[in-house]
Amino acid sequence: MILANATNFWARESGSGGLFLMVFLTLAICAALIFGLLQMPSRLRRPVVATFTFVSGLFYVLLWIWPQAQDRKPTDLPANFTESVSFWLSDALPKIANVSNILTAFLLGLGVFSLMRVHLTRLAKKQRDWSFSIVLLVSMISITIFGYWDWAQRQGMTPLQLEEATKIENWTTARLGQSLLFDGLLQAMDAAMFSLIAFYILSAAYRAFRIRSIEATILLASAFLVMFSLLGLADLFWSNMINAAGGSDPASFINNFRLSEIAGFIQKTFQVPGIRAIQFGIGIGALAMGLRLWLSLEKGGVS
Amino acid sequence: MQYQDTGWIGIAFTLMLVFFVLFNIRRAGKNNDIYIRKIPGLNAIDEAVGRATEMGRPVLMVPGLGELNAISVQALRIFSYVARTAVKFSNPIRLCCSQAPVFAVAQEIIRDVYQQEGVPEKFDDETVQFLSDRQFAFAAAVSGKILREKTAATFFMGEFFAESLIFAETANAIGAIQVASSTENTQTPFFIAACDYVLIGEEFYAASAYLTREPVLVGSLIGQDWSKIAILITIIFGFMMESVQRGQMTGMEKQPDGSYTPIAEQRLKKANETFMHNVFNPDPPKPLEITRPQKPAEEGAGGGE
Repeated sequence: MILANATNFWARESGSGGLFLMVFLTLAICAALIFGLLQMPSRLRRPVVATFTFVSGLFYVLLWIWPQAQDRKPTDLPANFTESVSFWLSDALPKIANVSNILTAFLLGLGVFSLMRVHLTRLAKKQRDWSFSIVLLVSMISITIFGYWDWAQRQGMTPLQLEEATKIENWTTARLGQSLLFDGLLQAMDAAMFSLIAFYILSAAYRAFRIRSIEATILLASAFLVMFSLLGLADLFWSNMINAAGGSDPASFINNFRLSEIAGFIQKTFQVPGIRAIQFGIGIGALAMGLRLWLSLEKGGVS
Repeated sequence: MQYQDTGWIGIAFTLMLVFFVLFNIRRAGKNNDIYIRKIPGLNAIDEAVGRATEMGRPVLMVPGLGELNAISVQALRIFSYVARTAVKFSNPIRLCCSQAPVFAVAQEIIRDVYQQEGVPEKFDDETVQFLSDRQFAFAAAVSGKILREKTAATFFMGEFFAESLIFAETANAIGAIQVASSTENTQTPFFIAACDYVLIGEEFYAASAYLTREPVLVGSLIGQDWSKIAILITIIFGFMMESVQRGQMTGMEKQPDGSYTPIAEQRLKKANETFMHNVFNPDPPKPLEITRPQKPAEEGAGGGE
């Protein structure tokens, strides 16, 4: 029953006294926690952090293990204990996700602060490459100003006004600046960096495919076969040769030597099992790592 | 979790793997002399840092583009070892982060390393840096750093995507020794093509056990091996069962509700009638008839036009 009522615990009405009370209580609890942690003897910090880690992890473990309520409607109340817990967990999920979003936002501030400190110091001391620091700081500040200015102008607009505002003849200075900096510069530079990959693939492939060993030779041969199977003209030419050699009979053994068959054999027999084996290893490794972190079994810097 | 679709086998298997890991972690404390095969990429760390020291150039580390999760934490654990080696040689370190939470954790870990080695004053603002959370802005920033500072050794470990080749080729262009590992299967071939040493798949997770030989980590590694053996046995058992059962004749037909009815003529078993198929695909559920109590209607709600 308590858990059944608790479904509303996560869903206070916006602007209600209950919500403000919860916000106030949360702030007070957080302040008390921070104060308590600062005052706590060092030997006690590890168990406290370990307990917090365990409880936080337990939520997600429960969310995964606990049977999920099916076909739930907004007006439904839980029918039994299992559903009560399931409802409570699924109602709590967005709120818990919000906590991590808020923490990430604070940490982003920390990251931006670090970035600014590095570049302001470099600028103040006229260290090497200080001119790049000017570019970074000016870009960062200007895109923030224009982005926020543009966002502020669009607040309170009706959908019709928003549609009108997006037409180029109605662009304000803020919209123009934001578009120039974001779409005109940042997106274009992103695309330029991405396009560099094509050239890097070429140079990396050249080094990888150089025949230095038996393995490199096998790699080269398999890569060529798979690539040729994807080239329509090469596939057509090869297919004609196979047909001429008796491949027009579907039962003929020579049909196994069509490019698409060879490429399929390489991919299905060697590539897919290889990738799956690697994925098993990665998955089990992540599981073991997650367990060690959750149960605070790791010694050293991260737990 | 939705047991009606998947059955109990997935969760039972996962709990078995969890048991293997925890049991071996507990067991490992008693036996520290456990063989771990050589991993050339990890043996190369000291060589790479030593070379950077000789050349008087920094060591660069990137923990990928991923959020703060098991992968980035594992990358930071490896980097704490690399950083310790570099600090011993008084070598400058550049650890570049693209995610703010990873940056915050990395800063603490590397600062701890400097303090433990007795040189906290050498940790400065540029040791651990947050550069950008945009993929290609980050790629440009790291590439710029590699080129300007002429890093002698680079370590790329974690979740990498399209930018992996930009990093690896830029570092290759200046002749840096590169040790890399990506948990993304699509990026591993790029690293293999462009880097000197690559940790593939589980080698990435085995790295901390290999480098530190801590009983907990070594035990966890043995647990992982047990888990892989369990998976291997399941696969072998599965294909043998399938091979045998697909050749068997049956006189029963499986109905959509999961029941079996006799048929006039015997036939070969279908794919959905084998043991392994039934284990991983439980019988289809009967139609759901869920009746739940309803919330009381709010005053003034509904009814209006």
